[in-house]
Amino acid sequence: MHLNYLANIGRYIPEILLVILMVGLILIEATYKEDEKDRRYIFITAIIGLVATFVAILFNMGGKPQAIFTNSIVIDDFSSLLKLIMVLGTIAVVYLSRFSKDIYETLKTEFVIMAVGILIGGFLLASANNMLTLYLGIETLSILSYVMASLKKNDERSSEAGLKYALYGGVSAGIMLFGLSHIFGVLGTIQFTGVAAMIPNLTTVQMAILMPSFVLFFAGIGYKIAAVPFHMWSPDVYEGSPTPVTTFFAIVPKIAGIAVLIRVTSVFFTVESPMKVGWIGLMLVVSALTMTVGNVTAIGQKSVKRMLAYSSISHAGIMMASLVMIGDVGIRAVLFYAITYLFMTLVAFYITSIVQDKYGNDHFDRFSGLIYRYPWMAVMMTVVMFSLTGIPPLAGFVAKYNILSSLINSKFYTLAVILGLNSVVSAYYYLKIVRLMVLKQPESEEAIEGFGFLNQMIIVVMTLPIFVLGIFWETIMSFANVSKLFIN
Amino acid sequence: MINLWAYLGISFILFICGIMVMIARKNIIALLLGVELILNAAALNFAAYTKFSNGNLDGHIMSLFIIIIAAAESAVGLGIVIRFFQLRESIHIDDASTLQN
Repeated sequence: MHLNYLANIGRYIPEILLVILMVGLILIEATYKEDEKDRRYIFITAIIGLVATFVAILFNMGGKPQAIFTNSIVIDDFSSLLKLIMVLGTIAVVYLSRFSKDIYETLKTEFVIMAVGILIGGFLLASANNMLTLYLGIETLSILSYVMASLKKNDERSSEAGLKYALYGGVSAGIMLFGLSHIFGVLGTIQFTGVAAMIPNLTTVQMAILMPSFVLFFAGIGYKIAAVPFHMWSPDVYEGSPTPVTTFFAIVPKIAGIAVLIRVTSVFFTVESPMKVGWIGLMLVVSALTMTVGNVTAIGQKSVKRMLAYSSISHAGIMMASLVMIGDVGIRAVLFYAITYLFMTLVAFYITSIVQDKYGNDHFDRFSGLIYRYPWMAVMMTVVMFSLTGIPPLAGFVAKYNILSSLINSKFYTLAVILGLNSVVSAYYYLKIVRLMVLKQPESEEAIEGFGFLNQMIIVVMTLPIFVLGIFWETIMSFANVSKLFIN
Repeated sequence: MINLWAYLGISFILFICGIMVMIARKNIIALLLGVELILNAAALNFAAYTKFSNGNLDGHIMSLFIIIIAAAESAVGLGIVIRFFQLRESIHIDDASTLQN
């Protein structure tokens, strides 16, 4: 063992930048939070720091995949891409929190600090290469999320959301660790590198211990991405939390969870064995259940936030569907899906947040006749809803098509059919919003001030990728095909 | 002679006890204690496997980290419970039901 732990620190610059940013933000917050006007320094610093991180990740991309810090962290293009998505989501959410009325004015600065902290956890999770970094990542993500969910201190619903999140999160982290401990016992290592080759050579007893352990392990990750049957917390937490927090939860923890699920699948199960068959079976069942339960429950919802929560559950199911084909095709499909999911979720939540700020709640009826008041906003929302349903030529269609075609190529016909049927079901509740916005008359005639030129521009900028990714997707995919994603 | 299986048995019992607490108890403080039981079961497993099975010290490190993070988690959990108690004047889990439609 050499003492060159820090030899590869150059590839860890994005995370270091984030940590420095978080510490800096805490200091700036302590100095400037008293004054109303000075508080904007915190937002400016946060945005600058996040953009710097974005650029640092871009510099990190394209290089050789590399395991650093005695193999505990992996820097490859796969993790870098997901980190880019998470940083973009965080920048958008920090901006949203600036003008949202759902967070107390004095707590907005703390929200920004916690968002950066959760992002650090997400980064750790996206490039985790042993059990310790995986656990640390999940807990960094979770513990700050509990606080964030109960950010509206005087609101009963927000505190309840935080409480539920904390209890479910604690149990699932414990269950996951219990599974991990037995995996450690059987395999004798906490590293992920090199375990795939060990799995086929195990004895029957070891196999019998390992199988349920992986199910327990999956419970912890499945909880983070809200896979059925560990999804019970998700609608409650999404509804109870302030809207910017909900937006954040729909993006960063979910994508980090998907990242770690992909990593685990492609690390442990590359060699043929009964374990691999079992894991694929588990993924098949859970992803089919997640899609179906998410979509069917979303139909009956009255709150748009809750509906979007269920829809994000079903999207997680679709992303999991592509995991059953272990290999690069499925992973590329997931990456594309994650990018489109980011933009669709952001726009949908931005508009919901604006509507909620105007009317005080996010009931479906508040959207009726929106097109007569804010035509621009209604058009954007319509685009996003069509894209979420998966109607060409929008990005959501291409993303779903990629997953479907690779599923059919790998002969998972049942899952492909279930995915197709689910898209049809989801059309009902997505297009319900469009129907309300376009065909219904507004509830009242009172004039409400507009939502600002800058905000409109930002929503347009976030909607544009939905068109661009939908039309020029071949160029983007061929670019992605060149790079080597994994370390293997 | 105390061997690996004794430790595994104890930790399994702890794990089951934790799950039972989470299912059966209604007091939120008790639920947090249940989480601690589950985490301790995992920590015990890591330590036992290191001692008796493979001698890989990473297991001890994992146990230490589990203990540290469990403390952080219960601190945050208790903070949220206190807030909930101030708003509701109850620490009964059935009172946390405004969000279910």
